[in-house]
Parts: sequence; C-alpha cells; structure tokens
Amino acid sequence: MILMTAAAFKPSAETAPQSGARLLVSTLERLGVEVVFGYPGGAIMPVYDALAGSKLKHILVRHEQGAAFSADAYARKSGKVGVCMATSGPGATNLVTGIANAMMDSVPIVCITGNVAQGLMGTDAFQEIDILGVTLPIVKHSILVRSAAEVPAAIEEAFHIARSGRPGPVLVDLPKDVQFETTADDYGFSIPNEAPRVDHDAIAAAEAAIRAAKKPLVYIGGGVKIGGATGALRAFVAATGIPQVSTLNALGTIPTDAPGMLGMLGMHGTRAANHAVQDSDLLIVVGARFDDRATGKLAEFAPNARIVHFDIDASEVGKLRSANVAVVGELREGVEALTARMRSGAALNIQAWADDCAGAAKAGAHRYDAPGEGVYAPALLKEISEAAGDDFIAACDVGQHQMWAAMHCRFAKPEAHITSGGLGAMGFGLPAGIGAKLADPSATVVTIAGDGGFMMNIQELATLKRYGIPLKIVLIDNSSLGLVRQWQELFFAENYSEIDLSDNPDFVKVAEAFGIEAFRIDRRDQVSDGIQRLLAADGPCLAHVVIDPRDNVWPLVPPGKSNAEMMEGS
Amino acid sequence: MSNTIHIQIDRADGSLQRLIGLVERRGFHIDGMALADEGAFRRIALTVRGRDSGRCMDNLGRQIDRLFGVRRISNDIIQSEAA
Ligand SMILES: Cc1ncc(C[n+]2csc(CCOP(=O)(O)OP(=O)(O)O)c2C)c(N)n1
Repeated sequence: MILMTAAAFKPSAETAPQSGARLLVSTLERLGVEVVFGYPGGAIMPVYDALAGSKLKHILVRHEQGAAFSADAYARKSGKVGVCMATSGPGATNLVTGIANAMMDSVPIVCITGNVAQGLMGTDAFQEIDILGVTLPIVKHSILVRSAAEVPAAIEEAFHIARSGRPGPVLVDLPKDVQFETTADDYGFSIPNEAPRVDHDAIAAAEAAIRAAKKPLVYIGGGVKIGGATGALRAFVAATGIPQVSTLNALGTIPTDAPGMLGMLGMHGTRAANHAVQDSDLLIVVGARFDDRATGKLAEFAPNARIVHFDIDASEVGKLRSANVAVVGELREGVEALTARMRSGAALNIQAWADDCAGAAKAGAHRYDAPGEGVYAPALLKEISEAAGDDFIAACDVGQHQMWAAMHCRFAKPEAHITSGGLGAMGFGLPAGIGAKLADPSATVVTIAGDGGFMMNIQELATLKRYGIPLKIVLIDNSSLGLVRQWQELFFAENYSEIDLSDNPDFVKVAEAFGIEAFRIDRRDQVSDGIQRLLAADGPCLAHVVIDPRDNVWPLVPPGKSNAEMMEGS
Repeated sequence: MSNTIHIQIDRADGSLQRLIGLVERRGFHIDGMALADEGAFRRIALTVRGRDSGRCMDNLGRQIDRLFGVRRISNDIIQSEAA
C-alpha cells in the first residue's frame, strides 16, 4: 500500500518579478499546453489580461459547462491534460457538471477558477462562492493558491495529480489578489513518486486462475485506454484467445468487429456479452469498476465466476465485488507481465467456450432491415461509422441515440468513442465534439446528439462557427426525451410525463442562423446521400435526422434485474 | 462495530472538510474525532462506523489513503488487497 506524499517544494533560481496571472500563463506554456477553453469575468480578468500575446490558443466557449466538457474530450482524444478556466461564482459553478463528468470517467483536466481577493473570502462578497468546498466531492484534488510565488508549483502539481495514477480533475482556485501580486520567487515542484508496482505473486496467481478456468472472459473497462494499456490488452487477447466484453467507456479498445469481441455488457449490452458474463467461470476485469449499468443486479452478476481484478486504484478492488486475485498497479505493466507468463506456458484449452461465444454473437447479431420508410437510427449510425472508416470519432450525447451509437457504430480505436459514461450528462455531445476535433484536426469527428441534449449546449454552435471547426453533427430528433419516454413506456405504464419536445425549433434554421450548413433527413432513401454530404462538407455541418418517436433501444435489461433477464422489442 | 483510524494530514485549505466529507459520503458515521496540530500537519483520530453492513472498513482506508495530503494512516485499517 502506497502512502501519498504531498508535493515537496523547493525554491528555484530568482527571476524577474511577474504577476501571479503572468506566472499562470507562462507555467501553462512551459507545460506544453496548447489549447485552453474558457470564459472571462471579473475575478479572472488579470489572467485574461496576461493571455494576450501568449502561445496559448484560448477558445472562448459560450457557457462554462461547454469549456469543461470540451477540455474533457480534448484530454480523452489527445491523451494530454485538458485545461479550462472560469471566473468566480457563477462561472465556477457552471463548471461543476463538467468536473463531475471528468471525475466519474477518470479524465485528467485542470480547471482554473478566479476567486475574490483573499481579504474578501468568507464575506459573501459579490460573485463569491466557495468553489473549493462545492467541488470537494467531485475532484481528485484541489488547491487554493495563497500567493503568486506558489502559482507555478500549484499548476505543476495540479497537472501531475490530474494525469498520474488514476487520472481525474484538479481544481486550482486563484484569488484575485494572487493574480495581481508580483513576485520574483518561483517555487519549483518536485514530482512525488507514487506509481504502485505490480506484484508478481499476484500475476502468478492470475495465471493459475486463468489456467484453471474453463470459461474465462475478459471484462474491459475504460481504465485500459486511460492507462495506455490498449496495445498490451490486445496482445493478451491475441495470445490467449479469451473472449471479451466491454463497458460503454471501453468500446473500441478491441475493435468492434474483431473475432472474440462480444460487444458491450450491461443494461444495453448485447445478448452474447451478457450471456457470456453470466456463464463464465472466471472474469478477468481490467480497469473496470462494476458500475451498475454494466452489472445489473449485482448479487446475480456473473454468479459462477471467480474474479481477477486489475486496477491502478486500490480502492476500486473489492469495492463492489471481492476479487479472488487482485493486481493493483499500472495496467500496462500488469497485463504485459501476465501475457508473458501465458505465452511461456501451454496454450489454453478453451476452444469450445470460444466457439460457444462466437456462435452466440453470430446468432444474436442485430438485423438492420427494419420495416417501413422512416429512418432507422441504428442503420444510419452503422453506415456513417463505416463510411468514415478508421478515423471515425463519435462524440455522443446521452440518451437512446447514445446507446444506438454504442451498439451499432464501428469503433477501431478506444479514443474513437467519447461519451459521458459514468455521469451520463446530457449536453456533452456538442462541446465534446469541439474538444475532440481540436485535439485531432485530421480525424472525422461526429457529434451524435438527441434533440433534448443538443438543446442543453446548443450555444456552442457559435463556438464552431467562430473557429471554423469542421465538426459533423448528427442530430437524431425523435421530438421527445426518448430514453425517458422508453422507460415510461416500459416501467411506468405508458404515463408519458413531460417528455414531449414536439415543439422543437427548426434545427436546420437554427444551425443556419449560427452560420452553419445544415440539412434534413427524414426518409430512409435520403440516408446514404446525406451521410456523403455530411462527411464531404468543408466546414461544420449538421444533419437533422427525423425519426419515429416510438423507436426504442433493444435489447434492454430492466433496472434492478440481472443481466440474464434481457427484454427484446417486438 | 466502530473502528478508530489514525490519520496524519497536511494543514491545507479544505483538508479537514475533504476527509470528513469522504468518510460520510462513503457511508460511514463519525462517532468521535480528536484533532491535534503538529506544525504543518494535523493528527486526527476518527472513530467511524459503517452505516450498513455493506460498508467495508478496508475500502474506506484505501479511499482515505488516496486523498492527497494524507501522509499516514494507521496500518491496521489497510489490509492486503488479495482476498
Ligand atoms: C443533464 C441531464 N438531465 C437529465 C438527464 C436524464 N436523461 C437521460 S436520457 C434523457 C433523454 C434524452 O433525450 P434526447 O437528448 O432527446 O435523446 P434521446 O433519448 O431521445 O435519443 C434524459 C432526460 C440526464 N442524463 N442528464
């Protein structure tokens, strides 16, 4: 067990006096930050003043929530730390959902908030909020900076904490007097060494458990991509032939169409994946946290399986399901060590199980020949991901369209699927698309949103326009809060309470009003041409796709039920 | 059953709130608390009890241990991971 040690600070060489705000900007530059998402205001004006002439590209979003979501997706796609900033009070509180999102999905972002001067703190001054207190439960760490001289060290520490170990959001609160204060001092930051080392006895125990199993299964979580262990996991799977299932956040870690990949498990998982989990006698859990959307009723989840659990975060192991073998440490190191052991011994004798799983996947494969003339969203999403090829990146919002995208798009890489997994925050899709596209300008980034979620951050169309970001948007409009509607239909006796959005604005006109190309698709025979038009557009472009409000997501495990009890639509 | 956890933590802004908030949010009652300053650190003895039988003291220990600013936590709380 590792005890965390706080950063040790050491004074470094004297430099010319600079303001705290200037020190913030120069430290971000020194750390290699290229893009910052933010929105100014009174308590962070010195920082905005210092931005002029800096190397940082500041993206002025139209709502601070957009800044946090964009920084989050930027981090997921680039593998770097995302940075956002906001003023005190309302600016800072507008970041909160984005911070929680990054926390739930372990995404490294640094959020910089201005605050009132220290002398005013605690007096209910204008736009004063204890943002440190507000965000305590949803940050990996937070720092209130008390003097200009501490700024560089605080920022470096924030970056280090955000990306080390299990990544997460770090908040740095900068009182206004600290931004103005000038200092010649600069306290350097020495990096604490805290990566837990993988225990090789545990690896040996994992190998023994795998060799003793008849029906082993790999349960892949979002931690694999975060931990840079995608290649290692692919090698493990290739070496052993063990079938795999994926959480929502891990889609693409193994390409969707790879043999042995049974798809997503859980509430909207595939039949093959859920059955394999229930049948398996050993789950090799890698970087996953037994979220209830993945496990269904926990007491009945994988009832016959022993558990081998790999995680960098010791507090995840045994949190919800105790592990027979726990491997705590860097995932890549752990998986590579296990692969080496598996390779040096005999090949596994699991062909019958692997064939079983593959057979179930084939038998349960989705059919795309739905009756009718209307647009069938699963088929459209499948087609667009295939047309875009290996460079396809989906930035999804939350709802039925999100589940359809997860189930039917083809993802070649783990960063190809960016979604608000843990928090499930509507409004994520558009700002996330912006962040992902800025992180990788050459990729084909497609925001997939529902009409409800799209409206939650629709103002970011202005950001798209201003910076000419060629993001493609597929807006799947069912004139309702579809996923809630589906639950009301199935579990609340069709009492459709407050889900009607049939008075939506004309989204094509809305996009055009923002200066963005847009067109409508409302028949199946328009889909292929529409996809070509969207992908070929030079700048940002929106396809407004109208679907039948009654379309539902299938299969589905009812809430509180075991994953063995999947419902199928008619 | 209650346990007493001994923790040494930095005297940073919010550190106490961070610790207590975590313990309560993770489903434990705080039955007692003693606090003493030690220069740049605080030494805290927390007597805690799970809100229900599903709450695992080991897990709480690991969660406290990963808080930044926690220097030391009594070893008897954190046992080996392997079950
Ligand atoms: C910020 C936020 N508010 C509420 C919810 C609850 N919620 C989950 S899905 C959903 C409906 C989404 O509707 P829409 O965006 O139109 O997508 P659809 O399900 O129709 O594809 C709602 C309200 C949420 N996830 N996030």
